[in-house]
Amino acid sequence: MYAYDKYDHALVNARVAEFRDQVERRVRGELTEEEFRPLRLMNGLYLQLHAYMLRVAVPYGTLSADQMRTLAHIARKYDKGYGHFTTRQNIQYNWPKLSDTPDILQELANVEMHAIQTSGNCIRNVTTDQFAGATADEVADPRPYAELIRQWSSFHPEFSFLPRKFKIAITGADIDRAAVKWHDIGLVVKKNDAGEIGFEVLVGGGMGRTPVIAKTIRDFLPEADLLSYLEAILRVYNEQGRRDNKYKARIKILVDALGADEYARQTEEEWQKIKDLPIDFPAEEAARIKAFFAPPPLQVLSDDVPAVNELASKNFLFGAWLKNNTNQHKVPGHVNVTISLKPHGGIPGDATAEQMDLVAALADEYSQGELRISHEQNLILPHVAKKDLPAIWTDLDEAGLGIPNAGLLTDMIACPGLDYCSLANARSIPLAQELGKRFDDFKRLQDIGPLKIKISGCINSCGHHHAGHIGILGVDRKGEENYQLLLGGSGAEDASKAAILGPGFDENGIIDAIEKVVAVYLGERNEGEEFLATYRRVGPDVFKEAVYGTR
Amino acid sequence: MALVNLTGIQAGDFTVLAEDQTPDEGAAVAVPLSRLKDEGDDFFKVAGSVGAVLATDTNYTDLAPLMNKLAFVVIDFPAFGDGRGFSLAVRLRKDLGFKGEIRATGPVIPDQALFLLRAGFDTVEVADAREAAFKTALKRFDAFYQTDYTGQVSLAHARHGKSQERKAS
Amino acid sequence: MARKIKGPQMIVANRLLDGRVVFMKADGTWSALAGEAAVAADEAGVEALEALAQKSADENYVLSIEVIDATEKGGKPYPAHMKFAMQAKGPSVRPDLGYQVSPAWEQTDL
Repeated sequence: MYAYDKYDHALVNARVAEFRDQVERRVRGELTEEEFRPLRLMNGLYLQLHAYMLRVAVPYGTLSADQMRTLAHIARKYDKGYGHFTTRQNIQYNWPKLSDTPDILQELANVEMHAIQTSGNCIRNVTTDQFAGATADEVADPRPYAELIRQWSSFHPEFSFLPRKFKIAITGADIDRAAVKWHDIGLVVKKNDAGEIGFEVLVGGGMGRTPVIAKTIRDFLPEADLLSYLEAILRVYNEQGRRDNKYKARIKILVDALGADEYARQTEEEWQKIKDLPIDFPAEEAARIKAFFAPPPLQVLSDDVPAVNELASKNFLFGAWLKNNTNQHKVPGHVNVTISLKPHGGIPGDATAEQMDLVAALADEYSQGELRISHEQNLILPHVAKKDLPAIWTDLDEAGLGIPNAGLLTDMIACPGLDYCSLANARSIPLAQELGKRFDDFKRLQDIGPLKIKISGCINSCGHHHAGHIGILGVDRKGEENYQLLLGGSGAEDASKAAILGPGFDENGIIDAIEKVVAVYLGERNEGEEFLATYRRVGPDVFKEAVYGTR
Repeated sequence: MALVNLTGIQAGDFTVLAEDQTPDEGAAVAVPLSRLKDEGDDFFKVAGSVGAVLATDTNYTDLAPLMNKLAFVVIDFPAFGDGRGFSLAVRLRKDLGFKGEIRATGPVIPDQALFLLRAGFDTVEVADAREAAFKTALKRFDAFYQTDYTGQVSLAHARHGKSQERKAS
Repeated sequence: MARKIKGPQMIVANRLLDGRVVFMKADGTWSALAGEAAVAADEAGVEALEALAQKSADENYVLSIEVIDATEKGGKPYPAHMKFAMQAKGPSVRPDLGYQVSPAWEQTDL
């Protein structure tokens, strides 16, 4: 993975010094809160319901065991002993003090981490496939490009005061595990007929109050043109994005207003002016960065491991974990392991400092010292030899981290919701907890098969409910929590918006409704047909009938 | 008010012309763009030097016909978060080849000093109480991840000993 | 600037240095306990409370001042809306954290 050189170190350390100075000036009253707020947001520091919240960047979801240990240390020293992994592959701490934050950022800087631009009206963390660089189904590892974009977008002189937040995602596989079509800019790594690397470029996707799926404005952009093309897209947005209304300020609104073709035309026109200037990135820099992502030296092993087969046949949970929580690696005899942070009845995406330390130790021993965070709020051990799976699972299981539900119904995404977030209208975590308890039967979960439930506590959609096979939106109805049920969304390459099924429910009602939805699916499905496919085939009416009893 | 000089340029000493005022002979005056577009050649002949005051939502193409008549440009930020001012400065350098002083006015904050410099601004008008903080901010970072249109080369190049500049075309 | 109020109001904010939730008392100082909050029942009273709170913000002690509907719980003032009731207690899913652990949890003087 990428390692800082002296320049990266200098920038990150200067940034900490800058923030320390900004905090001091704020406390002395030399900066008003109005002036300070965007500055602290650009260092990932929010004010939430109970306390500040610090969002630490995990660039494209990749981190080292040492970095994970530092995250655990910060949780213990400065917070309440836990952290929350997010839908943009970052980590959030819920209880830091403003007065401690410069020290926290310094400890992070010491291990090549930061909280730069994890909030604010600027370009945020570039996210990607949690199996990037390690999965068998990849065209190319997208992470070198994510790192190039990360550097290019950090402290950008022209694009640091955008109309609104800006989120970029990139996938290196045709199977999209990064939800690129739901981003402001989505990039799909491709190879042309000559075998050259390039990108399909999509713009204007987003969730929030107005869900939109991104439109392709360029079918194939050659690799070397990536940053100049992004510059053109951003310049058009920075100049014309609305600044009069916070809720109409994202690029998706501008793309919709101009039309995708016109946005493409304006981007192209600007790009033509700059594409031949000697600009970032030179080929040497691309090569330097790519070298950090060279595949680890893994031995080719057999995929058929008797000890694994034996344990799978004897132990149902291990067998389920093997089936659900491992992804085929590029190198035979290896897999990528998903560590589920979705214990039934637990808080989705949360991990204690002790759990973080354990995962770091496992990474050192079994996954080349490397870890990933998925946008579905789980952790990944990449590059694991299959023969090590029984030992890994035993350790994980002991720590409550061996839940074999990856991709299944209880592998839910949930935003922090009204329990933590000052923007929320309803709680989301208790819903996830109740669903986990209601479906606490792994045989049943296995039978139901892949099903993505996504829960948001307000229309800002941080829980990605628009992209849920089953989406839940919490609202405030006359001071009471009410939950809307949506069906048929997808964050994958077949992106679609979930549609509201009917009137909302209270907390008990929504759980019952989901049981009914699952029952309908089980009744309607063809053999081997997954939930989303069944829904798309039969349509909402039969679900509506079952849930609302309408005819 | 104080004037922070970012680039060392010879900063202009001008007055902002009122709506119905005509310039004194040889005077240095700053005039809103909307008015300048209507003024004839005489206006420019009488004044010693003329600068345009631009709102951040100005379309840079509106400036093209005036480029050879303008000595300086003032970009007036209505709020420090209005990042259009940065793109406007970039357009002046990159697309219009403007070489004169670009000044930022309005409630920009000291922490934006380097962004202003790297986007192409020469000077910033600031409250006296903030002058020191602006100057401190200018010294925070000395290397950057972007090649800009003021001649600053990014680390992507510097790491490999390359000094290619991205110039305004 | 008279404002329209629909019932009794109290003031909640966050402390600048640590972000902790605090409720404003009648003398303009702050408490972790919603039960100690000053309640105003008319426009003039609310404005007076707001002015006091703003003074504290100007002194950089608190930020994010909110004037919120007040109700009663156990004979003492309490936030009426579920969002601010959540602030008064702590996250419902972590009953081991927040003011629900102890009423003056982490009320350190800063």
